[in-house]
Amino acid sequence: MNLFKRFSQRLGFMILTLVVMSFLIFLLVEIMPGDVAQTVLGQSATPESLAALRESMGLNDPLMVRYGHWAGKFIRGDLGESLYMRGIQINTIFWRKVGHSIILALTALIFYVPLSLFFGVFAGVKAGKLPDSIISFFGLATMALPEFVSGIILITLFAIKIPLLPITSIIPIGETLWENLNILILPALSITLVMFGYVSRMQRSSMLTVMNSDYIRAAILKGMPRGYVIFRHALKNALLPTITIIGMNMGWLFGGLIVVETLFGFPGLGSLTLSAIKTRDVPLLEASVLFITFIFVVSTFITDMMYLFLNPRIRFKGSDS
Amino acid sequence: MKNKSILEIKNLDVEYSTLTDKVVALKDINITVEEGESLGIIGESGCGKSTLSYAIMDYLPSNGLSNGKILFKGENLLEKSPKEQTKYRGDRIAMVYQNPYSSLNPSLTIGFQLDEVTMFHRGFSRKEARNASIEALKDLYLGDAAGIVRRYPHQISGGMQQRICIAMALLCKPDLLILDEPTTALDVTTEVVILDIISELKKKYNMSLIYISHDIGVINKVSDRIAVMYRGEVVETGSQHTIYKHPEHPYTRALINCMPRSGIVKEEVRLNAIPGYVAKRSAAETGCPFVSRCEKKTLICQENYGLKESKANHFSSCSRAYAEDVPDKERTRLKIPLENNVKEENILSIKDLYKYYGGPGKKVRALDGVSVSLERNSVLGVVGESGCGKSTMGLTVSGLLKPTKGQLIFDGIDIAVSWRKRTPEILKNIQLIFQNPGRSLNPSFTIETIIGRPMKKLLGIKSKTERRKMVIDILKKVDLGEEYLSRKASQLSGGEMQRVALARAFSISPDLLVCDEPTSALDVSVQASVLNLLGELQQESKASYIFISHDLNVINYISDYIMVMYLGRICEYGRKDEVVGPPYHPYTEALISAVPDVDPDSAKQQIRLEGSPPNPTKKIKGCPFEGRCHKKIGKICETTAPPKVYFSDDHFVFCHLSPGKLGAK
Ligand code: SF4
Ligand code: SF4
Repeated sequence: MNLFKRFSQRLGFMILTLVVMSFLIFLLVEIMPGDVAQTVLGQSATPESLAALRESMGLNDPLMVRYGHWAGKFIRGDLGESLYMRGIQINTIFWRKVGHSIILALTALIFYVPLSLFFGVFAGVKAGKLPDSIISFFGLATMALPEFVSGIILITLFAIKIPLLPITSIIPIGETLWENLNILILPALSITLVMFGYVSRMQRSSMLTVMNSDYIRAAILKGMPRGYVIFRHALKNALLPTITIIGMNMGWLFGGLIVVETLFGFPGLGSLTLSAIKTRDVPLLEASVLFITFIFVVSTFITDMMYLFLNPRIRFKGSDS
Repeated sequence: MKNKSILEIKNLDVEYSTLTDKVVALKDINITVEEGESLGIIGESGCGKSTLSYAIMDYLPSNGLSNGKILFKGENLLEKSPKEQTKYRGDRIAMVYQNPYSSLNPSLTIGFQLDEVTMFHRGFSRKEARNASIEALKDLYLGDAAGIVRRYPHQISGGMQQRICIAMALLCKPDLLILDEPTTALDVTTEVVILDIISELKKKYNMSLIYISHDIGVINKVSDRIAVMYRGEVVETGSQHTIYKHPEHPYTRALINCMPRSGIVKEEVRLNAIPGYVAKRSAAETGCPFVSRCEKKTLICQENYGLKESKANHFSSCSRAYAEDVPDKERTRLKIPLENNVKEENILSIKDLYKYYGGPGKKVRALDGVSVSLERNSVLGVVGESGCGKSTMGLTVSGLLKPTKGQLIFDGIDIAVSWRKRTPEILKNIQLIFQNPGRSLNPSFTIETIIGRPMKKLLGIKSKTERRKMVIDILKKVDLGEEYLSRKASQLSGGEMQRVALARAFSISPDLLVCDEPTSALDVSVQASVLNLLGELQQESKASYIFISHDLNVINYISDYIMVMYLGRICEYGRKDEVVGPPYHPYTEALISAVPDVDPDSAKQQIRLEGSPPNPTKKIKGCPFEGRCHKKIGKICETTAPPKVYFSDDHFVFCHLSPGKLGAK
């Protein structure tokens, strides 16, 4: 009952966020300098042809009408037509690239989540001892390196010095990602390097807090062996906050993909967004940014639900005395 | 016949090394606990009581170093490997902590946390373990044991949580049970029940107990012998009776005299306050730990310092508690006793005050129709268990909360609005003191700024030098010297902070001071001095107080009138002497009987209240106390709101019982 109430609350909130954000994105692109018609027709276009194009694209309608039109099309799944690549439906290229990005993001996630959680917990348990210092140092060092630096280091190491993996992550024409899975590794690793320090530090500090809590002391003084206390009593409570952070960062991760994708030439949402910016391809840009927002909001929602499920204190709130 | 000893601590020292120096937490502790014996350890915070219990469990922070011997049934626990330790912990030696809520894992069911104990120590199967757990819960008189094991800790009340913790400790029938302030976080009515259960189970299983508390009344109920600790040392041990009646160490005597206790009221005595506070002890320090605060010190008193047996089973490291070469300080009492029947005009009239929290359906009735008046120049004590609405009342009077409906007539004006809508005059005249002064004083401001600010804002005193003079004056009144002017709030101890908070409140001479548990966070010795100070300031300024506390002894000490609240309603109101004596409301009676006595020889009739106050979201038709009342008449208590019955002009109760029955045993 309560779970349901909270669920619907969050769901409503999520939809509201999406509506507001979509409007903001629409507005932003609207007020961006530069005239769409001009972009399309080029500098030498006559005023008449510009006006005609504006009319046919609906650029002269009132703002709200245009927003409604635009949003309606989005909901129906029609992302519109690319401006730069005239005549090409955004739908035909967009989803494939999104798919690539999701696969890359998932690969990165599979790399860095278990790694950083494990080492975070380990550092927390060994707080103040040598392993802790090593992990913390490594985490800090990699966190300080931006993606493009760590990416270049990785390329130098694993593609040039030891030519194990391809330097760039371009999919040869005519092939699909599935035939080229090895191109995922280096970009995913460079994301991992950046996220590792961050997540493992989070995990370390939440593990420390839990290990110093009264209930862990009580469990130890109940005579439970240390390993058991860590796994059965501490872990669940210590993982909660970190999982939340990871979830929240999903959207951010997608943003961060832009850098990595560009560096490696990986054909994903990031590169697509970047080229949309470069070519002033407004509909494509809107679609990309809105999609990133969507991912962000949905991942927050999922995290929230997950947290709710893992934490009985929230789950049963209201049934307290 | 000498009993076998279960625990023998020999020359135990514990030191903590910090970056800069070493702090002594325990010094040369020698204690024995015999089979089936219960040892109470009393002392203020920072005296090493908890460190001692963790030392026994060999669970000290990593910068703690222990030296000496802790012999449990002849084996030195300090020499055990981590693996061997797990065989003692939770099995032969178990512990119960102050805060049951945080001692239970929030994400595991109660059943799981109970079962694992016997699964580990006894090798029980899941099913056997569950049965054992349910049995243990039944030992603690927890009704629906089979239902409780499936719940999570936050789903049950604090009193139940503590019973579960005790049940958990008793699962393996330990030889020694260490209880570290197990009832401090609970209401008195819950406390008595738990203390009873502990005594009963101790007998049943012939356990030895170490019971740690700052409250000698509680210690008296459960211990055979008492050890008094001060700054990491055991300064005196003896039977309950000797410790209370014939203490030898000046600290013991001073400590007992600090405690507000039944029969001690401000009209008759000033509480004894021990000047200063419990300081950290450096490794270099030798000799008597109490010397800086001792009233009885002489030039040579320390030559002979050290724990000695003075009489059989009575050890003390100093025997100058009643030394006559240094006469007792004169204990002046507060000057003006309450003049009978001199009615002052009312400064505040509360009329039919309601305060609801939360939305429809989940409405919490924090105040449910309270009407009471407060005379000028008097102290109204408000007492009741947590959740009775006493704090809400304080907050509505001070304007931090806006009442849902009702009137607050202050000086002829209705002030039932939030403080933002009050005139500066009224804001100045009603001041509030909190339990935790640290939160209400900005830690980075100097004391001069803190006290000077309301003077500038509410009194409009612009000149800085003038303000400084006034601040110095007011600091003197709260026994703080000029040197405090430039200190920051964060550098003060709890007692000093409360003094500063008082100074700030009194700097603008208010007519009404609302004190919400002002001494609950303080140690008894400091509490005594703050209570004395509150009493003096009141007499001097002729201000009125609303003094809110859960501690009936404190209320009884400081108040002229007492109001007893239950579930947002008044049970009883009257002059102090009328309320604490019969005839009284059944709830008042239960509350008074629940307060553990400081005097171990007092034989007080005990009334046990089962359960805890009902859910405050339910609408109550009859008497709010009906579910727990030991004198309940019958249906009428459930269906009809009890009438207001007057025993004298200003003493009334809300109860269906005829007045004759309200005093009867
Ligand atoms: S030794 Fe002296 S200072 Fe210490 S408690 Fe005894 S009388 Fe007081
Ligand atoms: S009205 Fe009834 S239930 Fe309430 S206090 Fe009186 S006797 Fe007890």
